[in-house]
Amino acid sequence: MDVPPIILQTAGSLVAILALAGLAHWLNLGGTPTLNTNDSVRHAAQEADDGFEAIESVCDAQGRAALARDAEGRIMVIKRHGNRFAGRVLGQGAQARLWNDHGKTGLEVDPGEVRFGKVYLHLPDPEAWADAINWVNRPQHA
Amino acid sequence: MPDFNPTQFAVPLFVVAVLAEMIWAKLRAPKAYEPKDTLVSLAFGLGSTVAGALLGGFALAVFIKTYDYRVVDLGPEWWAVWWAWPVCFVLDDLKYYWVHRAGHRIRWMWASHVNHHSSQHYNLSTALRQSWTGALTFGFLFAVPLVSLGFHPLMIAICGGFNLIYQFWIHTEAIRRMPRWFEAVMNTPSHHRVHHATNPRYLDKNYAGVFIVWDRVFGTFEPEIDDEPIRYGIVKQLGSFNLLWAVFHEWVGMLDDISRAPWRHKLSYLLREPGWSHDGSRETSDMIRDRWRSRAGGTVAREATSVATRNPIAGGGEAA
Repeated sequence: MDVPPIILQTAGSLVAILALAGLAHWLNLGGTPTLNTNDSVRHAAQEADDGFEAIESVCDAQGRAALARDAEGRIMVIKRHGNRFAGRVLGQGAQARLWNDHGKTGLEVDPGEVRFGKVYLHLPDPEAWADAINWVNRPQHA
Repeated sequence: MPDFNPTQFAVPLFVVAVLAEMIWAKLRAPKAYEPKDTLVSLAFGLGSTVAGALLGGFALAVFIKTYDYRVVDLGPEWWAVWWAWPVCFVLDDLKYYWVHRAGHRIRWMWASHVNHHSSQHYNLSTALRQSWTGALTFGFLFAVPLVSLGFHPLMIAICGGFNLIYQFWIHTEAIRRMPRWFEAVMNTPSHHRVHHATNPRYLDKNYAGVFIVWDRVFGTFEPEIDDEPIRYGIVKQLGSFNLLWAVFHEWVGMLDDISRAPWRHKLSYLLREPGWSHDGSRETSDMIRDRWRSRAGGTVAREATSVATRNPIAGGGEAA
């Protein structure tokens, strides 16, 4: 049976793609940066939204995510994405709730974007942050 | 008539070059690659060739029809007219500049081109991160003047193929600067890093394909500043490695905006620049840059204003 060249070429490319991605993994490229200091959070927040100056921040216990607040009261959730960070300033549509993770209380932050996903954090005083995030999402009155 | 697709022949070269850059990254800059990001970028590349084969027919039909009405006839053996090749290459690169500029300034075009920019990394795999949806835009119309002039569509395609191959090697942090004369005329890794940056200073700059002179001529050139670390990607980073979302997210966003907008603003969401909104709730690249300038006191120095501390560029001397 003759296989069309385009199929062969596509199959060959697919094999090369998987091999290269596998090689990147095997070479241990990338790394796992953490958010574990106010400076690292402030820096990541500036990157996520130019001009966002965090005056208060809190890090996930494992450094996978963080919350930052600026002088205007805006709250940003930041998560590790690969070996970079991505963040969202939380607006209406964002929600936070407490969740129990093996006896510890964690915070689940839903920025309201399905594809960005929910962010889970273990942090001190999660109740206060949940209230602050849900305050943003409160019904607006004229 | 020649039957030749230069990019097909270049694929093994691409693979070897990515391999070599990964080894460089292992030794010098391990953060330059991220396996999932690499997989997504390469899948973009494969998908774009399949999409091109499936959806490119309409553009080809338009070109062939247009060629019937060409102004200059290079004859039945047009491929043997040697001088037509360099002229076509240069004009095709000028065309590339404008189609690329439109790709950043018209949201309909950006919905497709954003695919190339949505990685937060800048390496040779990023070069292969090509759109699947280019055929759904009107980008091909930018080539119509060349065809009308008398350049055969195949000649333009071959020149475009070499243009694409040239642009592959400039997607790297492994090369800091090329010799000064080269930087002055040609697009280089340094110039193109600027293009992929989201630092306000760099937004919507350096659209060139091969010759950076187009940016200098049309006022969109911005040099790379050595001590301002570059942040790659898009203003609102995806935060997802979902391939299909990465391909279609801007189309979804644009169509959603159009459906929600008042009638008189619907077309603007299609044709105005990315970030434009009828109620001013979002920011365009110009607005982001203006806000950054005003924050810096209205004067933006050539020297760095720190944005990030990562992305160390390979060591090396200053430009020659």
